[in-house]
Amino acid sequence: MRSRPIVITEVGTISALGIGFSNVASSLSQPPRKSSVKDFEFHQFSSEVPCYAVRDFDPVEVLGKKGLRNKDNSTKFLLGTFDTGLKSVMESTEEENRPGICIGTAFGSVQSIGDFLSDSIVNGVNNVNPQAFANTVINSPTGNANIRYTSRNLSATISTGFNSGLDALIYACDHIGMGYLDRIAAGGLEEISYYSLLGLERTGILSKSGDLRAFALDSDGVVAGEGCAVFLLETEESAKARGASILGEIAGVGSAFNPDARKGSSGTDAAVHAIKAACDEAGIDPDAIDFIASAASGNRLSDQFEADAITTVFGTKKPVTAYKMFTGECYGASGALNTMCALSDLRNSRISGTGPAYNTIGDIPLVFDTVQKESTYVLVTSFSCDGNCGALVLKNVK
Amino acid sequence: MYENRVVITGLGLVTPIGTGVKKFWQAALNGENGVRPLQIFDATEFRTKTGGEVLDFDASQYLSKEEIEEMGRSSQFAVAAAKMAIDDSGIDLSKENPFRIGISMGTTMGEPQILEKGVKIKYQTGDAGQIPSNLPRQYPCASIPANIARVFGIKGPHIMIPTACAAGNYAIGYAFDLIKRNKIDMAIVGGSDPFSGIAFTGFNRLLATTPDVCRPFDKNRAGMAVSEGSGVLFLERLDKAIARGAEIYAEIIGYGLGCDAFKMTIPDPTGSGGILALNRSIKYSGITPDEIDYICAHGTGTGENDKSETLIVKSVLGEKARSTPMSSLKSMLGHTMGAASAIEAAACALMIKHGIALPTINYSEPDPECDLDYIPNQARPMKLETVVSNAYAFAGNTSSIVLRKIKG
Repeated sequence: MRSRPIVITEVGTISALGIGFSNVASSLSQPPRKSSVKDFEFHQFSSEVPCYAVRDFDPVEVLGKKGLRNKDNSTKFLLGTFDTGLKSVMESTEEENRPGICIGTAFGSVQSIGDFLSDSIVNGVNNVNPQAFANTVINSPTGNANIRYTSRNLSATISTGFNSGLDALIYACDHIGMGYLDRIAAGGLEEISYYSLLGLERTGILSKSGDLRAFALDSDGVVAGEGCAVFLLETEESAKARGASILGEIAGVGSAFNPDARKGSSGTDAAVHAIKAACDEAGIDPDAIDFIASAASGNRLSDQFEADAITTVFGTKKPVTAYKMFTGECYGASGALNTMCALSDLRNSRISGTGPAYNTIGDIPLVFDTVQKESTYVLVTSFSCDGNCGALVLKNVK
Repeated sequence: MYENRVVITGLGLVTPIGTGVKKFWQAALNGENGVRPLQIFDATEFRTKTGGEVLDFDASQYLSKEEIEEMGRSSQFAVAAAKMAIDDSGIDLSKENPFRIGISMGTTMGEPQILEKGVKIKYQTGDAGQIPSNLPRQYPCASIPANIARVFGIKGPHIMIPTACAAGNYAIGYAFDLIKRNKIDMAIVGGSDPFSGIAFTGFNRLLATTPDVCRPFDKNRAGMAVSEGSGVLFLERLDKAIARGAEIYAEIIGYGLGCDAFKMTIPDPTGSGGILALNRSIKYSGITPDEIDYICAHGTGTGENDKSETLIVKSVLGEKARSTPMSSLKSMLGHTMGAASAIEAAACALMIKHGIALPTINYSEPDPECDLDYIPNQARPMKLETVVSNAYAFAGNTSSIVLRKIKG
């Protein structure tokens, strides 16, 4: 058990689920909102690529026009998430105690990096916009958020592929656990970019049908998504001292790595280790988990890894949901978006169903129809085909 | 705070002045300059035509042909440096619990050469389908720690912290925390960055690059030099190191982070984030400013950084700043980006071990605004018990770590 419980007191989000935490529950009750992309500034795909794009976000309306010209989409998503969800807490706290910022992202500003390079190839190295260079460092969105809110206490960016969002929460919990800070705004971020989509297409993991079917025996791949979710994490003591509403508690975290994942080996021991470490830190037996917010995305390999881990620890008796059916595979944002959806379900006493039923890998008991259920503990998992294994226990504090 | 003590027992270095700890140390003692005319590509079009390339790196000494084909240059550097650090520590990892070994790495650009290769194929052939299918998965910077884990069979917590040019210190700090909190027993930590055409173009466009050599803190300093390399340290719990009779370079006793929250590419001229990080590192280490014997500067050689860093040190150390020598290894190495602070931490460990502070080379004319002792041009034997290493970055990231000679 942690000596300093870490709680969630604010949530901001922008994704295919909409803008703002208060809209998440209703979005999870409706069919997923898919769209497609084809054209980017320097490159185009030959046909529309299905995806779960952010559609309702107008950066100028939310952030104002000033200073946006040289900001890329990742930065706009992050600043928009802060402005619509955490602005008051960032601005109302005196500078000295203002929350630090820790953001996970898999590809960072790869659209900006690739476009900077493309610009230098097309227009010459002496004609690229020097202002665009600032966007090419992976920590650019986080740094922009620190600048916007004069947040000096921490600026950390985490990049562990698909696990980045969950690992950013883990990093923030560890940082608070060390006693360095009492409050950190932490989460995950990813934009749909030409370069990441092209990479996924060349690697062969994008779904040709455009249907994301988590844990499906006949899944044909993943559908990309984008978005951002950021939580204000703070010690319970800090939250109570400032009279903040506590939305949930991060009771435990765990991580491990499967070095043989690329060889196709499930490496169940690493995933199981991460789950048990999170439960141990939460001071609970895995049996106490009420449902599992999985990272399943329709990627056959990582879904198989996850199914093996879940069935090893829990058998087939725990309900499992897959929020990527609603958000798409948002890479570095996924762990944070999954945690946010799990928190929404916890607070609304339900487990969101994923839609029409199908046969699942390992007979995973995927929740197809939404269930009304009071829960105390949710396990949020993130197991990638690269080998990263992460787990987080979310506790209901209602 | 937590009781576990964290020590450095192994080092691995891939740098423009030499690959391998011995080669690096001898070159650094001699004040060799690693910033030379570029060989990686034709730099005719650029205002700057020099940089720091690692010219003696042979990946086949550390990796199999199959591994090389699946890794970018940044990963190759990092895995090689990790192998050196593990060998140097004398540990047999096969006898350790793989879940109790962590990996924490930093980078600025990750694997930019992979992206550059892919985009160039697209432009040259007009067909993105010509990009090899195994290329994209080598790009994410997460592949750097993942490749280390794959090569050495490591299963513990695993992280990449890409906080630009301060990333090495952030990575070292996180592993320090995990060992302190007893989440792991040991860790492979550091930073890696390959030479990046994107970074070289960007810094040229910002007019931040020196036209020839790097002259940190000198009145005539003209900018930084884009460079490449990797530094890896093997960290472990003190009692584990003692139990196996390991040679200990130094102890890490604390670190501090901060942020300027000022501009993306320019440090805060008031040094706000740097002051915060340095003050925190001193506080968390449980030392006083008077105990600091030497500071390994961020010292990029840009007008803004060197002035701001001098101010930071004077603000925190007060009068003691004037009697605390500080040098910039970037005068020899150029700026190895996310690898820089890891290489500098490794160099600090070596300085403590040998009792010699490395110099700032290319220093000829003092700057009234940079008026401290920068150990000009010659390495200096001196008492080195407590040293601090600063690292700052784009986006205002600031960090300082504190190393101490192990006592008793």
